[in-house]
Amino acid sequence: MSAPGSFLWFAAHDLRLALRRIRAFFGKSSPLKIALILVAALAAFHGLGYGAARAVFEETGGDIRQIYPQVAMVFAFILPWIVSQALTNATRALYSRGDLDIILASPVSARTVFAARGFAIAMESIVSVAIFLLPVADMMAWRFGLNWLGVYPALFFSGLLGAALGLLLTMALFRLFGPRRTRLVAQILATLIGAGFALGLQGANVAPAHLRAMIAARLGVAHDGGAFDIDGPWWIPVRAAAGDPTALAIFAFIALALFALVCFTMADLFAHGAISTVGASGADARPARSQRAFRGGAGASLRRKEWRLITRDPYLASQILLQVVYTMPVSVVLWRAQGPNGSVALAIAPAMVVVAAHISASLAWLTISSEDAPDFLATAPVTRGAIERAKLEAIVGPLALLFSVPLFLLWLAAARGAYMTLFFASCAALSAALVNLWQPSPGKRGDLLRRHSQSKVVAMIEHLLSLLWAMGLALAAVWSWWALAPVALALLTLWLNRPKRAGAPFSLSAA
Amino acid sequence: MHENQPALLLRGLAKSFDRPAVDALDLTIRPGEFYALLGPNGAGKTTTLRMVAGLMPPDAGEIAIFGVDARRDPIGAKRITAWLPDEPMLYDKLTPLEYLEFVAGLWGVEPRLAQSRANELLDMLGLGAQARQRCEGFSRGMKQKVALAGALIHEPKLLMLDEPLTGLDASAARQVKDILRARTQAGCSVILTTHILEVAERLADRIGIIQHGRLCAEGDLAQLRGRAGRADASLEDLFLHLTQENAGADWRQAQSGAKAA
Repeated sequence: MSAPGSFLWFAAHDLRLALRRIRAFFGKSSPLKIALILVAALAAFHGLGYGAARAVFEETGGDIRQIYPQVAMVFAFILPWIVSQALTNATRALYSRGDLDIILASPVSARTVFAARGFAIAMESIVSVAIFLLPVADMMAWRFGLNWLGVYPALFFSGLLGAALGLLLTMALFRLFGPRRTRLVAQILATLIGAGFALGLQGANVAPAHLRAMIAARLGVAHDGGAFDIDGPWWIPVRAAAGDPTALAIFAFIALALFALVCFTMADLFAHGAISTVGASGADARPARSQRAFRGGAGASLRRKEWRLITRDPYLASQILLQVVYTMPVSVVLWRAQGPNGSVALAIAPAMVVVAAHISASLAWLTISSEDAPDFLATAPVTRGAIERAKLEAIVGPLALLFSVPLFLLWLAAARGAYMTLFFASCAALSAALVNLWQPSPGKRGDLLRRHSQSKVVAMIEHLLSLLWAMGLALAAVWSWWALAPVALALLTLWLNRPKRAGAPFSLSAA
Repeated sequence: MHENQPALLLRGLAKSFDRPAVDALDLTIRPGEFYALLGPNGAGKTTTLRMVAGLMPPDAGEIAIFGVDARRDPIGAKRITAWLPDEPMLYDKLTPLEYLEFVAGLWGVEPRLAQSRANELLDMLGLGAQARQRCEGFSRGMKQKVALAGALIHEPKLLMLDEPLTGLDASAARQVKDILRARTQAGCSVILTTHILEVAERLADRIGIIQHGRLCAEGDLAQLRGRAGRADASLEDLFLHLTQENAGADWRQAQSGAKAA
C-alpha cells in the first residue's frame, strides 16, 4: 500500500472514483450482470476484431507497411477523442467541488494532487476507446504477430498525451474565459472535438476517389521525412502501436515529458482555478433585456417555460444538435450502398427520420423526465393530461424549426419524397416522445447523454422505433408493399409499451 | 367553495409506508387561522401536507379545503391552495419574473393582474433588483423567497408551508414572517410546519403537536400549558413534555399489548 498523500495514493483514490463513475453508466445492475455484459461485449468486439483483422490481412497480405496508413487513420481520430474526453473530465474535476476543497486545504503538494487527477483523467479517457480498440489489437496480434500488442502501451501513452493536451486546453480556456464561462465553453468545445472524431471516421467513405488515390500514391513513394513518410517523425505513434521498440520508447518519452511538464507548470494554476470556481455557477448575472408583458394560459405557460429552459442551455442545445452530426454517417452509408447512381434524397430521408426520432426523444426526456419541479407541477390546478399534452406540444416547435429547411430543400429536389419524409419523421418523432412519456426515467438535465443508463430497455425501444420508421420510409420510397411491415412492427412496439397505470397527478415522485 | 367552511378539514386521514406515517388524523383549521403543526422528525407532518397538496394519495380519510373535497375534486382544491416545500422548487434558467408568470399562468391568474402582483411581491421580499436575473446564481434564501412569491401570486385561500424559514437569514426570516402575518390578517389560512418553535410561539393562533402520525395535543399556548399543567412553560418545554408523555403512553400501550398477547 502506498503512503498516504503520495502520488500513487491519490491516483488510487481518483481511479476508484473514476471507476464508480463508469459503474454508474450501468445503472442499478448487479456486479454479476455488469460482468456478464462486459464479457459478452468483449467477446462480440473480439469477433468484430477478428473480422477486421482478416479484412486487413486480405487487403495487405500481411505487409506491415501497408497496414500503417490504416493504423494512422485510427490514431488520427482517437487522439482528438481522448483530448475531448480529457477536456470534459478536467472541467468536471475543476468545477465539481467534491473532495477537492479538503484535499487542497491539506498540507499536500498541489502538483501531487494535479498529477494524480491528470493520471485518472487519462485512464478514464481511454476506457471508451480501449473497449473497441484492444480486441482488434488482440486479433491483429494473433493474425500478424505479437508486435501488435504494442497497441496496449501506445494507447496508454496516448491517454497521457491526450490528458496533457486536454488539461492544457482547459487551463488555457480558464485564462481566456474566466471561471464563469469556462465550463460552458469547454463542454461545447469537447462536443465539437468529439463530433470531429465521429465524422472523421467516415472521412474515408466521403472522400472523393481521386483524393484517396493521391494519398495512397504519396504514401507509396514518400521517403522525404515529410508527413507522408512512414519512417518520418509523424508516424512514431503508428510505429509504436505496431510494436517498434524505438518508436514506442520515443512516443512514451514524449507523452510522459508533456504530461510531467503540464503537471509541473499547471498545478498551481489548477489549484487557484479550482478555488476561484466556488460560486461561479455560470449564471448570467446580466439583467434580461426587457421583461415583456405577462401572458396567460396554463398550456402556453408550460410550453414557454420548456422553450426558455432549452434555449438558455447552450450545452444541452449543442448535445441535441450533435445528434444530427452523429447521424450523418448513416446517410453516407445509405448513399454509398446505392452504388454510383444512388439518390442523395433517398439516402438523406431515412437519416432525417432517425434524427427526428432521436431529437424528439431527447427533447421529450428533457421536458418530461428531467422536469426540475415535478412536485410543484403536481400541486397546480391542471390535470396530468393537460401538462403532458403541453410538454409534447413544446417538442414540436424546436423540431419544426430544425427540420423546416432540410424538408424544404428536399421538397425542391423531390416533392413526393418530402411529403413522405414529413409523414414518417413525424411518426418517428411522436413514437419516440410517447415512449419517453410512458416510460419516464427521471434524471438531471445535465445527464442528457447518460439518460439511457437508467433503462436500457427504453434505449432499445427508441432505437428500434427510429430504425423501423426509417426502414418504412426507405421501402415506401420505392413503392414496396413491404413498407407496411416495419410500420406495423413500430405500431406493435408502441402498443406493447403503452402505459398501464391509471391517471394520477403529474409527479414523478408520486408516480 | 364556502367561506364559512373550515379552511382545512381532515377526518381519519391515514397513510402507511413500512409503518403508519399518518394514523387516522383529525384536524380542523379555521378560515384566517395561522396553524403551526409541530412534531419530532418522522412524526408525519410533511406526509400530511403532501397529501393535502395532492402529491400523495391517502390510504383512507377525508380532506376538505373550504368545503371542496380534495379527493373528488383535486383541481378545485388546488385552485385555492398553495404549497411551499422546504426545498424551493424553481427553474434555474428562469428569472423570478418569468417564474411568477409561469405560476400565474398555471393558476389562471389574469396576466396584467399577475404582473402587478409579481412586481409587488418581489419588491416586498427585497428581490426587486434581481427580478430580471436568472435564479441560477441565487442563494438558497433568495430562492426560497422567489418560491414564496410563487406560492402567493394566485392569492391562495390556504397556504401550506413546510419549514419555510430553513436557510433564511434573520432579515429574510423577518420579511417572510411579516408577509405571512399580513396574509392571515387578509383572511388567508396558513398551516406551517417548523422546528423553530419561536416562530410557532409568536405567529400561530393554534399549535398542533403530531407524533407517530397522530395529533397528541392541540390548542393555543395557554391551552397547551393547561394541558401540560405548566403555567409558565415555554413552547419548547411544552413540546418536549408533551411528546415525551405521548411516547411514554405509546410505550405503555405496546407493553400491555405484548403482555395480553
